[in-house]
Amino acid sequence: MMAARHLIIGAGTAGLNCIRTIREEDGGASEITLVAAERPYSRMVLPYYLDRSIAESHVFTATAATLATWKVKTHIGRKAASLNPQANALTLDDGTTLEYDDCLIATGSRAVKAPVPGADSPGVHSFWTLDQARAVIAGIAPGSHVVMVGAGFIAFTILNSILSLGARLTIVEIAPRILPRMVDDKGAALVEAWLKKHGVKILTGVALAKIGDARGKRRLQFKKGGDLLADLVIMATGIKPNLEWLQGSGIRINQGILVDDHLRSSVPNVYAAGDVAEGKDGVTGAPAVHAIEPTAMEHGRVIGANMAGRDVAYRGSLNMNIVEVCGLDIASFGAWDASGAEAFTALRPERSAYRMLCWTGDRLTGAIIIGQAGDVWTTNDVGMLKGLVQTGVRLGAWKEHLRRNPFDVKPAFIASRTTATLLPQTVLGRSSRAPELPTTVTR
Amino acid sequence: MKVLKIVPEKCTGCLRCELACSYVQTGAFQPAKSVIRVSPYEGHTSYAPYTCTQCAEGWCMTACPVGAITITPAGAKDVVDDRCVGCKLCTIACPYGTIFYDHDTRKAFKCDLCGGAPACAEACPTAAIVYAEAETRDWLADFAVERSARLLAIGGR
Repeated sequence: MMAARHLIIGAGTAGLNCIRTIREEDGGASEITLVAAERPYSRMVLPYYLDRSIAESHVFTATAATLATWKVKTHIGRKAASLNPQANALTLDDGTTLEYDDCLIATGSRAVKAPVPGADSPGVHSFWTLDQARAVIAGIAPGSHVVMVGAGFIAFTILNSILSLGARLTIVEIAPRILPRMVDDKGAALVEAWLKKHGVKILTGVALAKIGDARGKRRLQFKKGGDLLADLVIMATGIKPNLEWLQGSGIRINQGILVDDHLRSSVPNVYAAGDVAEGKDGVTGAPAVHAIEPTAMEHGRVIGANMAGRDVAYRGSLNMNIVEVCGLDIASFGAWDASGAEAFTALRPERSAYRMLCWTGDRLTGAIIIGQAGDVWTTNDVGMLKGLVQTGVRLGAWKEHLRRNPFDVKPAFIASRTTATLLPQTVLGRSSRAPELPTTVTR
Repeated sequence: MKVLKIVPEKCTGCLRCELACSYVQTGAFQPAKSVIRVSPYEGHTSYAPYTCTQCAEGWCMTACPVGAITITPAGAKDVVDDRCVGCKLCTIACPYGTIFYDHDTRKAFKCDLCGGAPACAEACPTAAIVYAEAETRDWLADFAVERSARLLAIGGR
């Protein structure tokens, strides 16, 4: 029997894509209830709100009116407190109990600060939620000295915004190099040199010991080396999935909630998506928490279709990221960090361009591409590298060609019939719909 | 649906499609901003244009975190400039490499079939690009396999 009452916990990318897909499939026939700690907005676009290139209203992904039109009952501003899968019931932090036929856990993750004294003092921020973005905006003025603790992807998404606000920027990273989980050592060295050339100070291999007050400024003290004074400190020191509330629920959790190829948890009518889900990696086949926007989106859509009664298996997610800093594009795909894998690398310092191609036999299973954002040479190949990793087409003799010419991706892509492999591929086994409200929803 | 049918054997490499595309899309003749791109084969003895297939999945469209990519009446996936923030997620989501980021406007851009009258097809003097009712398919692979055999054999460019 088809489930009639869907409960969606979390209004981020996964939750909203799930709701949209249910409505695409069922036209409004089922009951949907949404529980969300915050009004729905996109974290992806907060960096553009930070630099004022968009208004705050632009960040919201579904207004109250949209949700009403989609016939979604909402509990906004409420958190899930406990789940009882035996009773098919969720209890909220205000004591309300909601019953469901099937349920999606998409509670996302939160920013965590480095555990040092002073990390919670005023002037020391995370940049993850809309409220945190507002606080950072209020704290940066032209000429401010901003110290970014952490040099990972999240930190890098806001470097341009901080610089465009006229602030001076210093990045401190405990690892010996920047972007440790997004690019390899050679790529990181190129990016570091580029940023230094653009006036960003970078200190790697430094361990923060304490943050104190120095007459209204923040004083950062390190285990070794001199202090830094900052007007504002941003801690981009990692994220953690919001899973604690599931303790005692019996849902199986490893790094995230373990899900099968239909994104079902160990309890079949409880699904999990996005940052809290540990699902199949499409390249390695192994379970992984990707905690990236595209994975949350695909998880949400597949679950929405399955909740609406379809039978959609998920092929697995592709780990990937792109970020631009000071006009330099940095992107990576798949298992570029697989230990012991065969890899070709090529550096063209005069163009600040770098490629790393990682292989399993004659299939591309990982790639890194770095190059100037205005350089057609870079932008042409970003998507094709994704296509090669996503399809895993056999490149045959083109592998040797790419060893000699790692920048000549296009003929390899085309002659390996990657387009023909891709054309029938869809996530839901049908064409995707435009993002506008499905017209079939009964108002 | 009408699609851009590519007949690579007819392409002479004149690049008129790139000029026409960039002129209609941006108001200036700047092939670097064309969304149809001609590539050489066989050591520049033959050429073929490549552009968006308007694929069924619409990887760019589903990836957009703010719903800035939609489907036009002509059936093209198109970027709504007012909504696009320039996050580039679409450029890594598209596995065909046919959506781009404009460093000047700070927006993504792609083939929108010129609203149903594609400038590239109109500009092509040899009918290597035809806007016709057809099923989208891989127009270039057979041609590329044949025209790159020698390149692969000698291991050059």
